[in-house]
Amino acid sequence: MNLWVENILRYLILLLLQVLLINNLQLLGVCSPCVYVLFLLALPPTLPRWAELLTGFVAGLVLDIFCNTLGVQTAACTMVAYIRPLLIKNMVQDNERLTDTPSSKSLGFITYLKIVVILVLVHHTAMFALIAFSFHNWWLTLIQIIVSSIVTIGLILGLDLLRR
Amino acid sequence: MRTLLQFLARYSILLLFLLLETVAFILLVRHNSYQQSAVLSSANRVSAGLYNISSNIYSYFSLKKQNDILLAENESLKNRITALENIAESAFEDSVAGYVYADKDLHYTAAKVINATTGLQRNYITLNKGMRDGVTADMGVVAKDGVVGIVNAVSDKFSVVIPVLNPLLTISCKLHKNNQIGALHWDGRDYRYAEMLDVARHIEVNEGDTVVTSGLSEVFPENMLIGVIEKVALTESDAYYNIRVRLAVDFRNIKYVTVIENKNRAEKLRLEEETIK
Repeated sequence: MNLWVENILRYLILLLLQVLLINNLQLLGVCSPCVYVLFLLALPPTLPRWAELLTGFVAGLVLDIFCNTLGVQTAACTMVAYIRPLLIKNMVQDNERLTDTPSSKSLGFITYLKIVVILVLVHHTAMFALIAFSFHNWWLTLIQIIVSSIVTIGLILGLDLLRR
Repeated sequence: MRTLLQFLARYSILLLFLLLETVAFILLVRHNSYQQSAVLSSANRVSAGLYNISSNIYSYFSLKKQNDILLAENESLKNRITALENIAESAFEDSVAGYVYADKDLHYTAAKVINATTGLQRNYITLNKGMRDGVTADMGVVAKDGVVGIVNAVSDKFSVVIPVLNPLLTISCKLHKNNQIGALHWDGRDYRYAEMLDVARHIEVNEGDTVVTSGLSEVFPENMLIGVIEKVALTESDAYYNIRVRLAVDFRNIKYVTVIENKNRAEKLRLEEETIK
């Protein structure tokens, strides 16, 4: 499949999944996972860094518009888009492993898991910290970050298994 | 100048990142402090349209719950109506109690239908009022639409009514417009229709005429609605009409009735018996 088509389709599916389904699952107020990040994770590694940054910015902005959290996802997704190439560069020495779409199949499960965990943690930390700007109970934010990250990582790995 | 350009080229990605993050933070801060723009919120056409579709879909999943809520609300409203009806009924009883006419000395008891059949040859209705509520055999039973039947058997708390839909029962009735007496009888076929018998062929009967109680038997007061004439048939040799009456009461859908006690009925019967002897 054409790389463009594949990424746009993945984007639309993840956007609908996030906005229509996952945003409606509010478990005990501490679990609001964000599978949407998978789109940024699965972008082609060959993408120029400036393009990746802009993609992250726009993707975050769109999600913000849907969620009425203007600025939050924009900042978090831009951060993910900035860090991802650095992570991939550091963790993947073997350039042959860099296929069009990073997955556990191409990178190896452990490497993929590490990248996923770090990026999801970065995204969720930024996201919940920015949402909590007006709140003061930091321990609730911490629980939110941990629980939501675990659920998001689980969902992303599940979707990765489906792709195999 | 060259050094500056080299610096910019070297750190262009970092600078772009910082620029975008700054924009994001400005959005975040402005969003919190100013009126949010309609374009950059879920109020814009695309996201609002999407949410509209999804809420339409989600509303299907909550239909059952909404239904239950409506049923519960209906139930409480019905209970309030019953309570109000009872109040109205007692007010009516109070006003009736003052009557001096012997044939109008009536007492009403509201009752609920707790069992009823319509599809059998001999149908019966059970009420939740019995002897302790003052219900005795041979009392008339009416619903708000019209005549239902006559009490047959009574226990302490319950009573069984023989409704119009039972061939064992014949009710004395008349045409409202000219007081011609007849007898109402059910033929066992359709729960919506009964027959009016004993109307001689010289009497003028039309479709649409109203049939009411005659008041002769002291079971029902005079002029209570029974039904409306649906069809009139008369062949050359018939001495009596074949009259089909559409019953006013929907027996499939009957919930609350009123039992009528005529306080002077016993006295009247006794007097009549003595006279006949």
